[in-house]
Amino acid sequence: MSLLGSKKSTESALGAVFCLVGLGFAYGAVDISGDAGYGGVGPNFLPWVVAIALLLCGVGLIWQGLTTGYEERDEPEGATSGDWLGFGWVSAGLLANAALIQSLGFVLSCTLCFVLAVRGFHYSQGKLPARRAMWIKTLALDTFIGLCIAAPVYWMFGQLLGIQLPALTNTGWL
Amino acid sequence: MDVFNQLMAGFATAATPINLLWAFLGCVIGTAVGVLPGIGPAVAVAMLLPITTKVDITASMIFFSGIYYGAMYGGSTTSILLNTPGESGSMVTAMEGNKMAKNGRAGAALATAAIGSFVAGTLATVVVTFGAPFIAEHAVKLGPPEYFLLMVLAFCTVSAVLGKSALRGVAALFVGLAIGLVGLDQISGQVRYTGGVTEFMDGIEIVLIAVGLFAVGEALYFVIYQGKEAETSNTMSRVHMNKLDWKRSWPAWLRGTAIGVPFGTIPAGGSEIPTFLSYATEKKLSKHPEEFGNKGAIEGVAGPEAANNAAITATLIPLLTLGIPTSNTTAILLGAFQNYGIQPGPQLFQTSAALVWALIASMYIGNVMLLILNLPLVGLWVKLLKIPKAHLYAGILIFATVGVYGMRQSAFDLVLLYAIGILGVVMRRFDFPTAPVVVGMILGPLAEAQMRNALSIGEGRWDVFIQRPGSLTLLIIIVAVLTLPALVKWLRRSRI
Repeated sequence: MSLLGSKKSTESALGAVFCLVGLGFAYGAVDISGDAGYGGVGPNFLPWVVAIALLLCGVGLIWQGLTTGYEERDEPEGATSGDWLGFGWVSAGLLANAALIQSLGFVLSCTLCFVLAVRGFHYSQGKLPARRAMWIKTLALDTFIGLCIAAPVYWMFGQLLGIQLPALTNTGWL
Repeated sequence: MDVFNQLMAGFATAATPINLLWAFLGCVIGTAVGVLPGIGPAVAVAMLLPITTKVDITASMIFFSGIYYGAMYGGSTTSILLNTPGESGSMVTAMEGNKMAKNGRAGAALATAAIGSFVAGTLATVVVTFGAPFIAEHAVKLGPPEYFLLMVLAFCTVSAVLGKSALRGVAALFVGLAIGLVGLDQISGQVRYTGGVTEFMDGIEIVLIAVGLFAVGEALYFVIYQGKEAETSNTMSRVHMNKLDWKRSWPAWLRGTAIGVPFGTIPAGGSEIPTFLSYATEKKLSKHPEEFGNKGAIEGVAGPEAANNAAITATLIPLLTLGIPTSNTTAILLGAFQNYGIQPGPQLFQTSAALVWALIASMYIGNVMLLILNLPLVGLWVKLLKIPKAHLYAGILIFATVGVYGMRQSAFDLVLLYAIGILGVVMRRFDFPTAPVVVGMILGPLAEAQMRNALSIGEGRWDVFIQRPGSLTLLIIIVAVLTLPALVKWLRRSRI
């Protein structure tokens, strides 16, 4: 049993998601002009094809999910149930990065993302230190490693290749 | 003779110090991403796509293709020494190579993989050298109807024919096509599926999808499901092959190359099928079948590794001559060409001859570099495997940010990146193939444009696809490709 229920129900639920996306694309296709010009079909042709195909695939997946299960599906790699706490930490890192990159600059924002993500990976690996003193030490170490990756990457892309990444200061170094 | 002269001119361009440096850098990064789990050539090229705004096209294509075939060399190192394949084409190498390594023959397995990759890579490059101009010469005659059907053929093989489940393959393909729909319609300029979000007007970048599915998706999958997985590694031994190893490897390399090249060339792509085919062939022909799956047979590493590299190199033929990508990485290479405003196709050999020949020449040079990087220096790469997984994956996330944010400086893209990462986790968990998504999203808009151009030629009539002999032939091939496997299955069943 996984978090979302039995195998069959998750498989058919995923099929239902396909159907919904297909319906969404169909809803969007209604507004697209069908003016074909010289061609036989207009800009709304492929959207309709995609919408209907997604819907049919969804129905197919629901059908397979409810009857035999997905055909020739490999047993998923890894644990049967997920580590959602670790996932939460990594997600927090990624989303914090998206939220802060323009104000904190690339280096600091990515370092924060790195530290939060490492936390998450350690949670899922069961490797987090038990004692508080150690906790702070590893945090400092991770911050240092994060800086050591993010800063050179920033300099390399910014100074050498001239790719604009957001900065905290306008010195070009941070 | 013409090919020879152009190739020499290509060597002159590729051998300038700066281009040699790019090739070397590509090979080094390629080997590294091949060795490292959780990151492959497609992501590496995608993450580095922002450099296309600054670096000259010849240099960056040399660099990117170095990463592409370099990853194949590195992939074998990981699959022999660890019990997880570094990239999907190394799955078979992992089976036999692991067995050899467990019996203290890791060195011989690494050597036959590296030399086999070199032999196959070089021979396949020879095929590209002579085959690609030949195909380009004939492909000039193709019109929009033929192009459209060639792309449909690529869609069919990538999604429905080669995978385990046609339904999941097709579903993945349409996810890709759906993503490709977002933005401005190429022909009419009509806005589609932007939902009023300005960022969507330019469409969704291929970088975002590739990095999201493969890098962020991998990292999230690892944290959710694989944190507790214990990994075992095998001990290294001296990288060396004895006389008998050579004698057994040679024919396997050549057979592997012969199997790999055609699979790469036809718009079908994927290196899984040729590697499995080569493995089966070697097992059948071997004088030591008892070693397979037991103590590890050297042919079982030599053949599939050669097949893998040959197929990978040959995928450049459909990419360069027809503009049709058949694997994740070639799809992203196509994106790189597009960033320079170049659409690969038969005209490429005329309009950008210098570029194409420099690229081909650099592949000969790159293979030599890779042989050196992977034989005497293999010990260095093995050290990469000691990086703790937590820091490795977190580091990959930083590079993912550079690639995606560097492309168009939008924080919105980073949120989207996270969402695509979750899609990647779901797809992996439910065993959906990812190549159809990437190929669908990049080839979809091109196929749509070709289809509408074809219909314009036919003045709106669909029979334009059956009136021309070329397109009719392709249509028959497509129908055959789609129905034959089912027919064979049905015949077998009815006989029993």
